[in-house]
Amino acid sequence: MEEPRLKLTRWIAVKIVTGLIMIWVVASAMFFLLRDLPGNPAEARYAQLIMHGATPQQAQLETAAMFGFVPKQPLIQQYGHYMWQLLHLNLGQSIAETGVPVSHIVFSAFPWTVILCLSGVLASFLIGVVLGVAAALRRMTKAGDGITWFGALINGIPTYIIAILLFYVFTTEWAIFPQGGTVSIEYTPGWNAGYIGSLITHAILPVTAYTLSAVGAWVLTTKSSVISVLGDDFILASELRGIRPLIVARYILRNAMLPLFTILAIALGLMFSGSVFIEDVFNYPGLGQQMLTSLTTDDYPVLSGAFIIIIVAVIAANFLADLAYPLIDPRVRRS
Amino acid sequence: MSVTASLPPEQLQKAVTRSRTVSATRWRILVRTPGRVISLVIVTGFVLMAITGPYLYPKNLPINANDIYAPPSWAHPLGTDFEGTDVLALIVTGARYVLLAAFIAAIVTLVIGTAAGLIAGYYPRSTGRPIMRVTDFILAIPGLPLLMVLATIWSFGSPQQMGLVLGITGWGGIARAVRAQTLSLRERGFVEAARGLGLPGRRIIGTEILPNVAPYVSMNLIMQVTGFIYIEVGLFFLGVVKYSSSNWGVMLNNAVFQADALTNTRALSYLLSPLICILLLTIALVTLANVGDEIFNPRLRKI
Repeated sequence: MEEPRLKLTRWIAVKIVTGLIMIWVVASAMFFLLRDLPGNPAEARYAQLIMHGATPQQAQLETAAMFGFVPKQPLIQQYGHYMWQLLHLNLGQSIAETGVPVSHIVFSAFPWTVILCLSGVLASFLIGVVLGVAAALRRMTKAGDGITWFGALINGIPTYIIAILLFYVFTTEWAIFPQGGTVSIEYTPGWNAGYIGSLITHAILPVTAYTLSAVGAWVLTTKSSVISVLGDDFILASELRGIRPLIVARYILRNAMLPLFTILAIALGLMFSGSVFIEDVFNYPGLGQQMLTSLTTDDYPVLSGAFIIIIVAVIAANFLADLAYPLIDPRVRRS
Repeated sequence: MSVTASLPPEQLQKAVTRSRTVSATRWRILVRTPGRVISLVIVTGFVLMAITGPYLYPKNLPINANDIYAPPSWAHPLGTDFEGTDVLALIVTGARYVLLAAFIAAIVTLVIGTAAGLIAGYYPRSTGRPIMRVTDFILAIPGLPLLMVLATIWSFGSPQQMGLVLGITGWGGIARAVRAQTLSLRERGFVEAARGLGLPGRRIIGTEILPNVAPYVSMNLIMQVTGFIYIEVGLFFLGVVKYSSSNWGVMLNNAVFQADALTNTRALSYLLSPLICILLLTIALVTLANVGDEIFNPRLRKI
C-alpha cells in the first residue's frame, strides 16, 4: 500500500513534468521557426549590421541579443544558446522597436488580456451555471428549451461578430460607451475616480464580448452535468428520506460542478483565441493585438515571445485547475 | 453476396419496411419544427451558392469608381463596396471559399480524430497513452495564436491549404470524444464476444465499434465545422493570411478596417452582408446538430 500523500506528490510531479515538456516542445518549435523563417531574418539582420560597419563579433552579439541565438554558429550551439536565454526569461529584442526587450513588450500587454479574460471567465461562469441549472430543472418546459437553445446558439456565434455588433450598436448607433482603447487620455493615471471610472467604461464592452462568447458553453455543460446527477440514486434516496430541497440542491451542485472544472482550462485556451478578435475590434492593447501587430510588422521575436507566454499561461492555468480538483472532489483525494 | 439477398421474400419485405420507417422517423424529426426546416433550407442554399456561385459571375467582378459604398438598390440589392463592386456578387462568389475550406477541414478532422480516438480508446494502456498525450497537447494550445504563428512560415491562403491547416490543428476534440465512447463500448458484451471469438483488434474496431461511434462523430463534426468557419473567416478578418480571391472574411476586414463601417453608417450593408451570412450559416448548422442529437439519442425525442 502506497501512502496517499506520496501518491499525490507523485501525481503533482507527473503534472509538472508534462507541463514542462509541453513548454519545451513549443519553445523548440519557436526556435526552429525563428531560425528557418522565409527570408531568414536573423541572417538578414547580421548582414545588415556588417554592412553598417559592425565587426563580425559585434554583429553576432547584437543578433544574438535580438533573436536569442548566433546565426553563424553550429545548430546545436544556437539551440543551446536560445534555450539558455529562455531559461533566464530573456525572450530577445523587438525588431520593430529596435532594442526594446521582448519581455518588456509582452509583459506590458499581458495584464490587459488577463484582466479582460478573467472578468469574462468569471462573469460567463456565474451566468452560465445559473442558466444551466435552470435549464436542467425546467428541461420539460418551454423556458428550459429556450435557455438550451440560447446556449447552443450563442456558443456557435463567432466572437468577432459579437464584438463587431456590440461595438457598432453601443458606440456608433447609441454612443453610450467609448470607441475602443483602455482609458481616455484626459485623466491622469492613478487612484482617482475619473481614471478608474474611465478604465471601467472602456472595459465593459470587451468584457461583455468575452462573456457572451463563453457563456453558451457553460450553459450547455452545466445543463447536461446537472441532468446526469439528477438521475443518480443518492438524489432519489435523499428525497425519499425527506431531506430539505435546499440541501438536495447542494448535493446536486457539488456533484454537478466537477465536470465543469475540467473544461475551465479549455475555456481559457478559447479565451486567448477570442482575445485576438476582441482586442482588434476594441483596439485594446493586450497580447492578442500585440501578436497581430508583430505579425503585420514582421516582428518575429515579439510574435514568438508572446506565443510562448500564452502557452505558459494556459499550461499554468491547466495545472492549477488540476491541482484544485482534489480539493473540491474528495473521491479523487482518496483514490 | 449481400445479407438481404438470401432472405425469404416476406422477411425481405419486412426489412425494407423497417428501413423505410427508420428513414421516415429521421425525416419527421428533421422537419418537426419550422426552425429546422428553415435551417435545412439555409444550409442547402449556401451549399448550392458555393457550388454554382463562381459560374454566375465573371471571374473579375466589375468595379465602378463612381458608385462606391452605394446603399442597397435594384441594381445592387446589397449595395456596393469600396471599389463599387456589387456586394451580393461578392457574397455569392465568396461562399465557395468558406464552405470548401470548412469541408476539407472536416474531412481531415474526421479521419485523424476518429482514428486517433478509436485506437486510443481500444488500446488505452499501450498505444493509447502517447496518442492521448499528443491530443491533450493539441487541445491545450490556443488555436488562433497557433495559426497566426504558422502564417509566418506558410501562407495557407488557398481553400485547400486552409482546410488542411485547420484540420491538422483541430482534430483534438473529436479524438477525445471518440476515445471516451470507445472506452465504454469496449467493455460491452458484444465487443467482449467478438474478442472471445478471437477476432483481431483491427476488425473489432472497424466493424463493431466504429458503427456505434459514427452517429456521435457526425454530430460533433457539425459543431466542429461551425468552429472552422469561425476561425477561417476570423483569420481573413484579422488580415493575417494572404488571399487570391475575395471571401466573407476579406469583406469583413475591408468593411471594418478600410471602410470604417464600425464608426459610420455609409458602409453598413457592406458590413452586415457577410456578417449575417456567417450568422445564418452558423445558426442553421447548430440547429441541425441538435437534430442529430435527437435522432441518435431516442430519449430526447418528442415524437
